[in-house]
Amino acid sequence: MDPVAILERVIAAAPQAVDAAGSLDELEDVEASLLGRSSEVADVRRGMSTLDEDLRPRVGAMLNEVTERLNGMVAARRAMLKRSAETDRLTSESIDVSLEAVRFPLGATHLIQQTIDEVVDIFVGLGYQVASGPEAELAWYNFDALNTPPTHPARLESDTMYLDWGDPGDEVLLRTQTSPVQARWMETHEPPVYVVVPGKCYRTDTVDATHLPVFHQIEGLAVDEGIVFSDLKGTLLHFAREFFGPATSVRLRPHFFPFTEPSAELDVSCFACDGDDPGCRVCTGAGFLEMLGCGMVDPNVFEAVGYDPGAVTGFAFGVGVERLAMVRHGIDSIKHFIDNDRRFLEQFR
Amino acid sequence: MRVPLTWLRELIDLPTNDVTELGAILAMLGHKVEGIEVLEVPWTDVVVGRVLEVSPHPNADNIRLCQVEAGGAPEQIVCGAWNFEAGAHVTVARPGATLPGGHVIGRREIRGVVSNGMICSERELGLGDDHQGILVLDGEPPIGAPFETLLELPDIVFDLEITTNRPDALSILGIARDLGAHFGIMSRLPDTVLATSGQPTRFRVDIEDPVGCQRFTLREIEGVTVDRSPLWLRHRLAKVGVRPISNVVDVTNYVMFELGHPLHVFDADTVAGERLVIRRASVGEKLETLDHVMRDLGPEDLIIYDAEGPTSMSGTMGGARSEVSATTTRILMEAASWDPPTIMRMSRRHDLRSEASARFERGVDPGLADLANRRATALVSELGGGSVLDEAVDVVTGDITPIVVELRTTDVERVLGAGFDTETITDILGRLGMTVEGGEPMRVTVPTFRPDLTRPVDLVEEVARLHGYDRFDATVPTGGSGGLTVEQRRQRVLVSTLVGAGLDQAICLPFVGVEEASALGYSAGELLTVRNPLREEESKLRVSLLPGLLAAVRHNVSYGASGVGLFEMGTVFTTVVSDDDPRLPHQPERLAWAIIGEVGMQVMAEKVIAADAHVSLGLLRLIGLALDVDFETIRSAPPGFHPGRTAEVRIAGTAVGHVGELSPLTASRFDLGPTVAAAELDLAPLVAPREPHTAVSPSIYPHVDYDLSFRVDADLPSATLVQATIDSVRDLVETCRVFDEFWDSSLGEGKKALAITYRLRAPDRTLTAGEIGRIRARMIEAAIDLGAELRGS
Repeated sequence: MDPVAILERVIAAAPQAVDAAGSLDELEDVEASLLGRSSEVADVRRGMSTLDEDLRPRVGAMLNEVTERLNGMVAARRAMLKRSAETDRLTSESIDVSLEAVRFPLGATHLIQQTIDEVVDIFVGLGYQVASGPEAELAWYNFDALNTPPTHPARLESDTMYLDWGDPGDEVLLRTQTSPVQARWMETHEPPVYVVVPGKCYRTDTVDATHLPVFHQIEGLAVDEGIVFSDLKGTLLHFAREFFGPATSVRLRPHFFPFTEPSAELDVSCFACDGDDPGCRVCTGAGFLEMLGCGMVDPNVFEAVGYDPGAVTGFAFGVGVERLAMVRHGIDSIKHFIDNDRRFLEQFR
Repeated sequence: MRVPLTWLRELIDLPTNDVTELGAILAMLGHKVEGIEVLEVPWTDVVVGRVLEVSPHPNADNIRLCQVEAGGAPEQIVCGAWNFEAGAHVTVARPGATLPGGHVIGRREIRGVVSNGMICSERELGLGDDHQGILVLDGEPPIGAPFETLLELPDIVFDLEITTNRPDALSILGIARDLGAHFGIMSRLPDTVLATSGQPTRFRVDIEDPVGCQRFTLREIEGVTVDRSPLWLRHRLAKVGVRPISNVVDVTNYVMFELGHPLHVFDADTVAGERLVIRRASVGEKLETLDHVMRDLGPEDLIIYDAEGPTSMSGTMGGARSEVSATTTRILMEAASWDPPTIMRMSRRHDLRSEASARFERGVDPGLADLANRRATALVSELGGGSVLDEAVDVVTGDITPIVVELRTTDVERVLGAGFDTETITDILGRLGMTVEGGEPMRVTVPTFRPDLTRPVDLVEEVARLHGYDRFDATVPTGGSGGLTVEQRRQRVLVSTLVGAGLDQAICLPFVGVEEASALGYSAGELLTVRNPLREEESKLRVSLLPGLLAAVRHNVSYGASGVGLFEMGTVFTTVVSDDDPRLPHQPERLAWAIIGEVGMQVMAEKVIAADAHVSLGLLRLIGLALDVDFETIRSAPPGFHPGRTAEVRIAGTAVGHVGELSPLTASRFDLGPTVAAAELDLAPLVAPREPHTAVSPSIYPHVDYDLSFRVDADLPSATLVQATIDSVRDLVETCRVFDEFWDSSLGEGKKALAITYRLRAPDRTLTAGEIGRIRARMIEAAIDLGAELRGS
């Protein structure tokens, strides 16, 4: 038979045979039938020597080409079958991806700590430093240096916890605010002062849904040449927007504190309803949330710490950390913060 | 402070009726609105009527027929009350009227006679409990007028929070003044025209304590009839939250709310003698107050004496002996100016907090005393009859002239920014009742009703307040250059590390009981004491974080937690003098943890690790890695801890705390146990700054791993053996780890086996087989020097 015809037939039939091989074993059989010792291609190769001289180059070239193409077809099919076998194997290793077979431990930073860190970072971004001071503090720093008259009711034992310690002339108490750190900082640092003070404060309050004898406050103080009331307003507006969201607006209302003049309370617009929901669960329809006390530092405070009230002005504010967290997260009782119940703590990871 | 809008309008002509707007204005004036109460009319169709004629009912003895004129033709109404006759002004519920409770009045027949409506009692109108008879109205109110107009209904009551610096605003007048300043209109004073009898009073007053009492005014009224107050007065008091008592007492309350000055009345006939003396009490003196409590007086108490001794307490509560009663006919009206701190101490010492003491504590205007007295006296004589005697007492011991404050525009602009000229400032202060003279500086005369304004900066606040806080710009100063300190940053790393290890951060109350502290080896003398604790259990401050943490662990266990790991960072209090401030106790920051039960990674069906001393030690090493601190751990037995399973922790030779396990006994004292992993460390040395590392390039040469197993004395710390073997070959050990520790009878008494795996790698060359052999031999030799014996490799 004509070797050229044989080869043409083989190459024409080969793709179907190769594709029909459904497994690597079957493919080996197909490969043997196409290219093996008893294949027609092998027969043609063996018959080469018997061909006419003038036919030999052409058949030889064709033989090589057919062999190469068959090898190519088989190799491609083999690669495909291998991939498919690998896929089948991997598929057979499937797991239940909804199963929590390995659980890495992760605790929770206390929500109060997270809130402090967040507020501190907002002010660090404005160029503030972070200070701290003693919790068992001299009455002088807690009250006198802050322009609190000796007869002020806040000094009474019904409001402030006093300690059995030290000299009667240097009465020691559990600080009722973080503000004494203001005085300590100014005593030891020259202006300009840009500082925030997070920390624990103490009052003689019995534990209920909104009161703890120990709570956290963040005090802020800016003292520089040319600090004006608008700076207080702008700084607190920035803080409120960073903490409650960029659409937040603020309202300053006149108030009274011994250590600031003028003094104000800051209300922030309700982040939940923005004043649009009379039945709002967060602001109960008021549209604003009472957030913190603030004001321009009273000249008497500057005098108490040795600053020249004629040379600098400043503002101060104090914000309750528990209140910030309770408002933002809808926490119904301040007691959660000291119960240290994992089921509460780990909601805020 | 409750402010009814109708009462307010009596003292100022407000240019707006918009309640929301008024509330916003009050808030922006510094009087926070805590609530706005709307008082509705609780009935319909109840009008003022006049009884023209009363006649018996033809078919009943206990009811009568009345001809009543109520704004139309007289109509017949059947009435069962007998407390009135023809001519009385009464309230008539006309047919179709609705009374409180939804009761509808119809035209109906009563025992055969038609009744065209009903004459009402106070109880039927929801005004009080009085149902003895029908409500007979005082005076001659207009016939046919809706009854609610007599009660000023409907009305609005603003509930305001008044700041402690504004005693003047604890009154309708004070609020009217502030609103007047806002609107630029004048408020007005109530009528205080007084007709006197021409007879002089014989009462005299001596102030022996001019510090305690700046001014004392007294008026005598004879022939007073003590009775119920008229409806309008009772109703106004009800709106501000005061229960009516009698006309005389009600007037003192009324004037206090109206003008802000508390008053007191004596029954003049029960005052002994005709001279009152004001001085401090002596120890041993007693006074029975109006509440019939016998008070032990002391030298801090400022008392009004008569010829028989103490008869009234200043500013807080009158005495029972001179109390006004139903039979009183001669009274003394007192309006006095008391020293705020004195009243504050007295009200607290005797637990007598009242509307009056609240005002005196903050400072009542001494300039107001006589005006308030005149107003109250005038009202008493108007309501209770009687004639006012002449020569009223007015003793002034202090300086009650208005003060003058000098103010420059620069004082204002330094604090409030540019834009405040003398004209603006003068206008604002003038509206607040101050007189401003001169240019720079302005001489500002402050009325005595504003005791809070004594310095230029106080006036600056007034300028800001009236200018409106909402009109200031919002700017941010840019002068700061801050950031967290190294310690603050490292403290955050510490928290993240412990949280990453699965611990929750706790915040505990820093109070501790003596017993809990003693469980951890602290004596009562080592605990700082709160002089005025809320509860006895909270009378000591924590000297260790552990009692609080253990209580918190127990809380979680009680709710079924199978594994709890808590840590806290916080202050503890010692009874040692502080290095930073010798006037204070040393109060270091600490880190502590307490862990019980399952910890660490959880893998399905595999046993989890239970917290013990090794877990504590593992956490310590984790912190060491995170903070780049080398800890030394030396076995130690601090009080409360397990003596064999606890280490003292040292950094560069200095002890910083303990890590390990609580003793089972301690654990049981906190209702926990038996095994609680625990630690308490000083925070400062953990987060102290570190020197930066010099980098070492990782070696590119091959490594060699091998294990060595030694038999050693049981009390030889593994770290000592490991360190000795490492030190013997210097930098060649890349990592190593003790992977087995065991005791076995085959090892002999007091011996243990330690198996260590090492990875060696030279920084600069491939280690040859010969070299490795020599290194290994050196390491074994170093171990043998510590008494170890090679068991295998």
